[in-house]
Formats: sequence, structure tokens, C-alpha cells
Amino acid sequence: MPIAIVIGVSIGFLISSRPHLSRIVIGLSSLIMTIPSLALFGIMVVLLAPVKLGLGITPAVFAIVLYSLLPIVRNTYTALNEVDPNVIEAARGMGFTRAQILYKIKAPLSVPVIMAGIRNAIVLGVGIATFAFLIAAGGLGYFIFSGVSRANLFMVFSGAILVSLMGMGLNYLFLRIEMWLTPQGLQRN
Amino acid sequence: MIALQNVCKKYGEKIAVDNLSIIFDQGTVSVLVGPSGCGKTTTLRMINRMVEADTGEIRIRGRSINEYNPVMLRRAMGYVIQEVGLFPHYTVYDNIAVIPRLLKWNDARIHKRVMELLDLVTLDESFCEEYPVQLSGGERQRVGLARALAADPDILLMDEPFGAIDPINRITLQDTLIDIQERIQKTIVLVTHDINEALKVGDRIAIMNEGTLVRYDTPENILFEPGGKLVEMLLGHDRNLKALSLRKTSNFIEKSGFSTVSPEDSNETIQRIFEGKEERVVFIIDSEEKMVGRYHCVVESGEGCSVMKSDDPVYIEKSANLSEALSKMLESGEKVLPVVSSKKRLLGVVTLSSLFDEMSRESDRSNT
Repeated sequence: MPIAIVIGVSIGFLISSRPHLSRIVIGLSSLIMTIPSLALFGIMVVLLAPVKLGLGITPAVFAIVLYSLLPIVRNTYTALNEVDPNVIEAARGMGFTRAQILYKIKAPLSVPVIMAGIRNAIVLGVGIATFAFLIAAGGLGYFIFSGVSRANLFMVFSGAILVSLMGMGLNYLFLRIEMWLTPQGLQRN
Repeated sequence: MIALQNVCKKYGEKIAVDNLSIIFDQGTVSVLVGPSGCGKTTTLRMINRMVEADTGEIRIRGRSINEYNPVMLRRAMGYVIQEVGLFPHYTVYDNIAVIPRLLKWNDARIHKRVMELLDLVTLDESFCEEYPVQLSGGERQRVGLARALAADPDILLMDEPFGAIDPINRITLQDTLIDIQERIQKTIVLVTHDINEALKVGDRIAIMNEGTLVRYDTPENILFEPGGKLVEMLLGHDRNLKALSLRKTSNFIEKSGFSTVSPEDSNETIQRIFEGKEERVVFIIDSEEKMVGRYHCVVESGEGCSVMKSDDPVYIEKSANLSEALSKMLESGEKVLPVVSSKKRLLGVVTLSSLFDEMSRESDRSNT
């Protein structure tokens, strides 16, 4: 997950002032999301097999990162571009450089929307991580898929509940981080 | 001094500014006014290179602005916009400290400067820790002004600075600006679509239309000799009334035609004054010629009148303008208004008839 955050936020920043590139990147990450998640795990296995990493943690991480990118990239991009134009105008007029506007003004003002994207991605990521079991990466998917194959309802439920709890827990954790990162002046809105 | 010479700016096919040459003098308030789309904002934004001129040259104190790095150029000028654009994630203190910090001042110097500025724009120190969302529109604009003045720039560019503020607060802010300008003497270029604001705060007014300069003159000259349909239209039908606001009451004081008494004078003395003349009002002044009250007589049926005393008489200060004197008269129903000095010394009176004379003189002048 941290990998997806770092990559996603960086891409969002990089494309924030390049409208043409942003259309391509956001289009591409939307495309990835249209691939059924199970199929994406399969694709990763096939793609990584030649380098002897076809099974286990590696393809699972690749799949989850790719899948989580869209909400993060899209929210970062939108947030950075929807900062009040008057604030940007004032900053330019006072002699902020482009970089200063991005880091001192746009970035802190974008925190709430970027964090919402990250939380979205986390819940999504935890859900699809269950498929990782199918490519020998272990995880909570074990309970669900073994339960299904043994017709053990208790096992399926406990797996599913654990996954939701984990999603909710992480969501809550990041909500706290979001509140901590959000500049004070925005919280009193 | 800011000098624009043959400056042009096109947006696509549309000409925003057409071969404009104008000089904004050092230490004065120049106001750009005109209908929307006349190029006034574009002109302002070319001065700090938020918009680059297509052709022509803009010089500040003799040096072309193209010799400066745009970022450095902007840091050397104050910039105030209609929506203020305070940084919502910064406190008032941090907002004002923005440019000094960009210029890497030390903390002690920044602190001192922020306190000075808050005082200048008449805000209390307790505002320091507030965030922009907690402020009213007028307070935000004051912080915006303080922020623009932070690094003590020679030049202040203001784009419709009071446009988004309610009429009452707008007048207070205009007064604050005039007050501040008297102390700081900056070269201010202000854009507005409100001719009254232009007449009030401007030392010189540039009237623009369709990218060209129609008129560039002092408020007096523009009011008294509009010289053109567009200017007359901008000024509106109450031009004569507006002209009154440029006339100081002190120039219209009449020293005769009224009587004064001292507080010790007896009722008979006062009665005698009223009987002998057509006057209905007598002013009471003390030994230092300060106005302390007035008598006026209320006509009763038949002859004679009964004398009423008032300790809180209407008056006008000599620094007020004639338009204020007129509204005082209309409010109180008095045709004769006592004029006092700032220390409340009675100087004379202004009369309704002298105001009418002045107004008809104005319209004679503009009709010929």
C-alpha cells in the first residue's frame, strides 16, 4: 500500500500542470481498473513468470499497486487543479515561483482530497488482496477460498469479516492521519 | 513613476489594450476606470507582468520591466485583488508575513513589521492567530492590504479591491486607504468600475474604453468638464451633486447673517434678537467662541414666538464637503448650518441658497 501511495501521489503531482499528459495517465489507470481484479492477478503471474517471480508476493504487490493507482492519481490531480484560482492569482502576483505555489500553496490545500483518494484505494486494495491467496501469496484470502472449496460457511464468514475489519481499521487510521495533516485553517470550515 | 508607452495587448483577435501611453506619477493614486472589457485590468496586470504586453514598453523609474525577473518584479510591488486570495491554511500573521519570508527577513524584523501593518490597517493584534475563514469580508481585505504592503513596496497595484464588499464597509475601507496613503505616499494604481470610488480615492483618473485612454485628468476637471458622451454617462445624472462632494465647506462660510449670544445672556436679550430680525436661530458661544448650543424660535399662531433651547445643535465641520453639508441640512430641515473648526469654534454658517448657487454655477459651466 505505501508503494501505491508514493507512486500515485508522485504521478498526480507530476501531471498536475500538464493537462495533455494527465489525460493519458488517468485514461491508462482507468483502463487498468476495468480489468477484472482476478484477471489482473493472472496477468501479473504470466508477465512475471519469465523472471522467476511468477508466484507469491511479488505479482500480488504489483497487481494491488496498479489497481490502487487510479483513485490516488485522480484525486491528487483533481485536488491540485481545483485550488481556488484567486489564491493562486494572489500568490503569483506576490512573487511566488511555480514550485513555491505547488509546495507551499497547492499541496497543503489539497491534503483532504488526496487523502480521500488514498483511503478509497486502501479499502479497494484490502478487498482485492484476498485474491493474492490464489497465486500463493497467502493472506486472509486463505480463509475465504478454502472455506468455499470445503463448503465451510464459518470459515468464509470469518475471512470476510476479518477483511472488512482490516479495511475499516486502515480507513480509520488514515482518517486520523488526514486530520493530522490537514492545515488548521481548513478544518474550521 | 510608471510609464507605459504605446502598449498593445491582443487576446486572439480581440484587442484588449490598444496603443496605450500613460504615466502614473510617483506617490499618487491613479485610478483606471471604465466599462467592463475596456482593458483596465489587463493594463494593471501588465505592470507586474502577470500579463505580458505584445508591443510597447513599460518602464518603472526609467527601467524597462523586461529587465527584471518577473518573480522579483512582483515581490517589489504590492498586489491586491478583489477576492483577496488570502491563503486559507495560513493565519493572519503568516499571511502578512508571506513576502518578508520569501525575502528571507529575520523573525524579529517580520514580527515588528506585521504588528506595524496590523496597526496601519486598523486591525487588533488579537487577529494574528485567526484564520481567513474566521474573518469578515472587510477584515479580509484589510489583511490583504497589509500583506501587499508587507515588504514596503513603492508601488501598489489594486484590482477592484473593494468590489466584493458591502457598500457601508466599502466606504470605510476607502477612507482607510485614503488615510493610509496620506502616511505612506505610495504610487498606487487602482482599477475599479465604480466612478464614485474613482472620484473619491483618485488623485488622477484614467477613463478607458475599448482598450484606449479616453480621458486622464484630476477628479475636479473630469467632473466639471466631462468633455464627451462616455464620460458623462459614467458620471451619471447626479454629476452636479457629485461635484459638491469635491468642494470644501470651508470655502463657503458666510461670516454675516446670523447672531450669537453668550450662555449668560438673559431671555429678554434673546427675545429682542428674534423680534428685530427675520432670523429663527441664534447660536450660543462661550468665551472661547466654542459653540455650546442654540436657541430657535417656534412660531405659534398669531404673532411672536416661543424660544426653545438646544444643547446639542446640528453643525458641520469645516473639513467636510458640501455634499455632506447638504445632506445634514436635508436631515435636520435647517436652511442655515453653523460651521465649526475641529475644536468646535464657530466660524460662520453655510446656507442652502449658497449651495444652490454653487450647483447652478456647475451646470452653467458644463453646459457652455
